[in-house]
Amino acid sequence: MEGLAAVALAIALVGIGFWTLIVRRNLIWKLLGLNVAAGGAILFLVALAHRPGARPPIVGLGPGPSADPLPHALVLTAIVIDFATLALALVYVVFLTEHRHTQDVRRLERDEERGWPQP
Amino acid sequence: MAAALSGILAYLGCGLLGFVRAPRVLSLLALLGGAISFALWAPGFPEVLVGGLPWGIAVAGDPWAMGMWGLGLVLHATILLHTRGRRDAFQPLTTVLIGACLAAALSRDLFNLYVLLDLTSLLALVLIASGRRVRAVWAGLQYLVLAEVGLTLYLFGLGLVYGRLGTLSVTALAGQGPNLSDPALAVGVGLLLAGAAVKTGVFLLGLWLPQAHGQAPTEVSVLLSGIVVKIGVVTLARLSEAFPVGTVLLLLGILTGFGGLAYALWEKDLKVFLGFHTVSQLGYMLIGLGLGAGTGALLYAVAHGLFKGLLFLAAGEAVDRVGRREIAPLAGHLSASVAIGLGVGACAIAGLPPLAGFAAKGLLAHGAPAWARGVFYALGLGTAASFAKLVPLFRPRGPGPVGGLPVLVAAVVAFGLGGTLLVGGLLSRRAWGEAIMVVGLGYGLYLGLRRVRPRLPRWGFDWSVVSLLLASVGVVGLVALGWL
Repeated sequence: MEGLAAVALAIALVGIGFWTLIVRRNLIWKLLGLNVAAGGAILFLVALAHRPGARPPIVGLGPGPSADPLPHALVLTAIVIDFATLALALVYVVFLTEHRHTQDVRRLERDEERGWPQP
Repeated sequence: MAAALSGILAYLGCGLLGFVRAPRVLSLLALLGGAISFALWAPGFPEVLVGGLPWGIAVAGDPWAMGMWGLGLVLHATILLHTRGRRDAFQPLTTVLIGACLAAALSRDLFNLYVLLDLTSLLALVLIASGRRVRAVWAGLQYLVLAEVGLTLYLFGLGLVYGRLGTLSVTALAGQGPNLSDPALAVGVGLLLAGAAVKTGVFLLGLWLPQAHGQAPTEVSVLLSGIVVKIGVVTLARLSEAFPVGTVLLLLGILTGFGGLAYALWEKDLKVFLGFHTVSQLGYMLIGLGLGAGTGALLYAVAHGLFKGLLFLAAGEAVDRVGRREIAPLAGHLSASVAIGLGVGACAIAGLPPLAGFAAKGLLAHGAPAWARGVFYALGLGTAASFAKLVPLFRPRGPGPVGGLPVLVAAVVAFGLGGTLLVGGLLSRRAWGEAIMVVGLGYGLYLGLRRVRPRLPRWGFDWSVVSLLLASVGVVGLVALGWL
């Protein structure tokens, strides 16, 4: 049952994240939405490893069934990648803020159409 | 296998050390190491699990790996020759990027491909933005966000497929003969396809591609269109090997081919125009994959990497020198070397014999059904018509610096000659006549279309995300409905 609840939560997180990414106009909000969606995908992988009554997949915790270790290994990599992506994207948001004095996507797009006039 | 992995280690190690000191020497060293390792493993090697463990990462030296290694090494040599004065982080970044692409070409594990695709997106953003121009940073940021959305979908699909089949190795998946009537598995496969298609730049999923490739600095565009996009094609090829998704790829290919072409026909910015052509040419590769003609698609990918790299290099030189991006004002300002490079590239992409495009199109059409050949003719016609815009540019004014252009010109001509001589039926008068006729008709089409100015829809950032998600739902639906 916990597994199913976690899957539902994961799908909800992806939905909330993509919704924020689409409707918010501020670039930082958009990036946070993207990160929430990625968190949903990660939670989904963790939920898949779940088995009823299982222990964490660590040697020495005693007998009995353990959770599937492979998704856990994948998730560690995915978390690091998401962190790196967010950090790098924020660097370029800072660059745009310094040069255009805005984080609003619509204003950036309007400036793009007009050939980037001096702010 | 040890030889191939040590080649990748040479690339990553030299690239990382290059951030500290001697970037150019270390980059050259990486190229040498890569070439030696390629020479050692070149006949190919069967699939091995790295580490020898049952859950190790599967790598194999198959034809796709060999094609991508050849392409990557040629492009790296070109870049090294072309950027002789640069002293910043450019060389180490390109070295690591090419190393990641070479590693992805060897990998036969879907999660490993995910990690490498993500690594190439991050490096590509840094390289696109390396000119510190606002429009390049903005195009690069949109690229990263869209690619990340695609890769989130990919990760979700990965989970579904792993949950159902318990493995992520392409060979093991293909061995199980997956049955897509299981809805959870079909959704997972659809999400994997959609995610890889975003990264590749398939039409309506990868709308970031033309701007990101067009706004990037010259050498970076060469690498992006030359090899980074091809890693997405490799991923799609692996997926089509593991799952029966040929029909979906065929439909995506036709849509991509004509969609990219429609925008290219009326684009005025020279480099963005070439970016739209990358989208359109992806159509050929996807149709090849969809038809099950893996070798044809692979050779087309290599040929496209060579001639599109040449086109971006020459176009970038012209744009940087003149300082204008539109096609018309560039006329009469090109140096002879740039005009020759642009001319050879344009003839190759239009499919004139005996250049690389002609050989690749011949290989792809070889054994394709009649309707698919009709699609190829129509795409070739449109390509020739849109490249007819460049004809006024070939009035060179004095010689200019040569840079890395000769490497790619030689590669395009050699690939074309080799393909034409080796493939049966390409030396016939009929094949040459057809190719020349298509180009002639294309020029006629250009003259006829000159007065037409349709308003094609343009997508902003938000709508790109929406179109990406809707198109992904469409891909998932196609897979789930069993259009197989």
